[in-house]
Amino acid sequence: QADSEKMALGLDVYNNKAACGACHILKAAASEGNIGPNLDILKPTEEQVKLIVTEGLGVMPAFGEEGILTSEEIDAVSHYVFTSTNK
Amino acid sequence: MKERIMKKIDTSKRNFLTGSVTLAGVAAATSVLPISIVNANHKDSSPKGLPDFISWKDRNALIVHSDKGIETHRSAIGESLITPNRNIYIRNNMPTMSDTQIGDRNNWKVSIKGVKNPKTFSLAQLKKLGHTTMATILQCSGNGRGFFAHKVRGSQWKTGAAACVLWTGVPMKLVVDACGGVDKDAVFMTSAGVDHEPTGLDPKKAKVERSVPKKVYKDAMLAWEMNGVPLPNAHGGPLRMVTPGYFGINNVKHLGQVAFTTTESTVKYMKSSYRISPIGKKGSQYPSCWEMPVKSWITRPTDETGTVKSGNVQIVGVAMGGMKKVRSVKVSIDGGQSWKKAKFVGPDLGKYAWRQFVLEANLTPGNYNLASKASGGGKTQPELRMENRRGYAHNGWKDHSVNIKVV
Repeated sequence: QADSEKMALGLDVYNNKAACGACHILKAAASEGNIGPNLDILKPTEEQVKLIVTEGLGVMPAFGEEGILTSEEIDAVSHYVFTSTNK
Repeated sequence: MKERIMKKIDTSKRNFLTGSVTLAGVAAATSVLPISIVNANHKDSSPKGLPDFISWKDRNALIVHSDKGIETHRSAIGESLITPNRNIYIRNNMPTMSDTQIGDRNNWKVSIKGVKNPKTFSLAQLKKLGHTTMATILQCSGNGRGFFAHKVRGSQWKTGAAACVLWTGVPMKLVVDACGGVDKDAVFMTSAGVDHEPTGLDPKKAKVERSVPKKVYKDAMLAWEMNGVPLPNAHGGPLRMVTPGYFGINNVKHLGQVAFTTTESTVKYMKSSYRISPIGKKGSQYPSCWEMPVKSWITRPTDETGTVKSGNVQIVGVAMGGMKKVRSVKVSIDGGQSWKKAKFVGPDLGKYAWRQFVLEANLTPGNYNLASKASGGGKTQPELRMENRRGYAHNGWKDHSVNIKVV
């Protein structure tokens, strides 16, 4: 899947299906949610994002285990968050 | 298979993990959170700077994992027992409440339930009820997570999610007496914060509510002052629960209610989070992060403090007994092959505070691996960590050892 396609899907999942912006700050997506860590500071690896999006942590839902996101969507949003915070 | 693991966890760890194991099924949470866009009340100016809500802290003493997880450098824990507020770590589950969200601090309310005469006290009323000061260790359950080998979610703390603090407030015992005593069938003391309320999130998922065994109320206190200043918002101001000897999460911040209950809270922060389970396993049948174990670590010299001049070296650190008084601490300069008893120095601030220790060693040029091992309550720190899924409760001495170069 071309990288730009994956990034586009990732942004779409970030903004819509998972609504990550409600809880996280990420400059690339212009989101200012203040519940979870500021992703621009956290700078997680792609693997860390995948693990946490799948299994959740504290108030953050387990988007994977609870069947909210497909594995393709998880891969895309993880790639999107990693790439956007490591420019 | 489960019984065997439970037995393994229970027998080998029962003495330290004395939490009750409720075999309630794990409620499958399938609903998506009612997520509402929250206006950020703490704008972060520069990426690696300190977030505004703790701009008063000392940037150089701190490691910024994120704006919600900030760790004290190993050598910045301090060498006079009490960790200065500007160096103390931050671990936020819910965002720190702002002054506007808190409002009139003296009119802050906490309701007491599960007692003969349930009451709601304002902070001003609590201040008339009683007064004490106590030193306790505030340590995140995940302190030491960064040493685990498997991939673990959460901040990768090493030694810096810990501090020794002088709290001032009212003993919980006096509050209970003022309410006519605890209901006789109560089994737990369940404390709840209100810092989830401004977020509008589902309390089942967001409320930080923690149950601990009822007996804890005899040592617990409601604190409104920390190291001589009003309890900062970032540390749970204006009022927090202090559960001495218990991991940080149980010391509930922005305290709104204390209820003596027959069952454990059913919120996520009690039922599924903070459970010590084997790698790959989870569920509320596993023990909760309650009592802290015996533990110690060297704070100077460490790899952070650079090369060491040969000759007399003061090897300094902190040692704690968890629920019991720490009796002794030994130090090794050869990675654990040989040990020498270190000296406790400075005052003994009670069993819930740590002791400062020092071993004077005459070191010739070369590489050394320094380790420390504390004993207390009939237990000694193990060499290795207790493997568990979320990297909790680490007190193995090997991972906490440090390498230094003497020239």
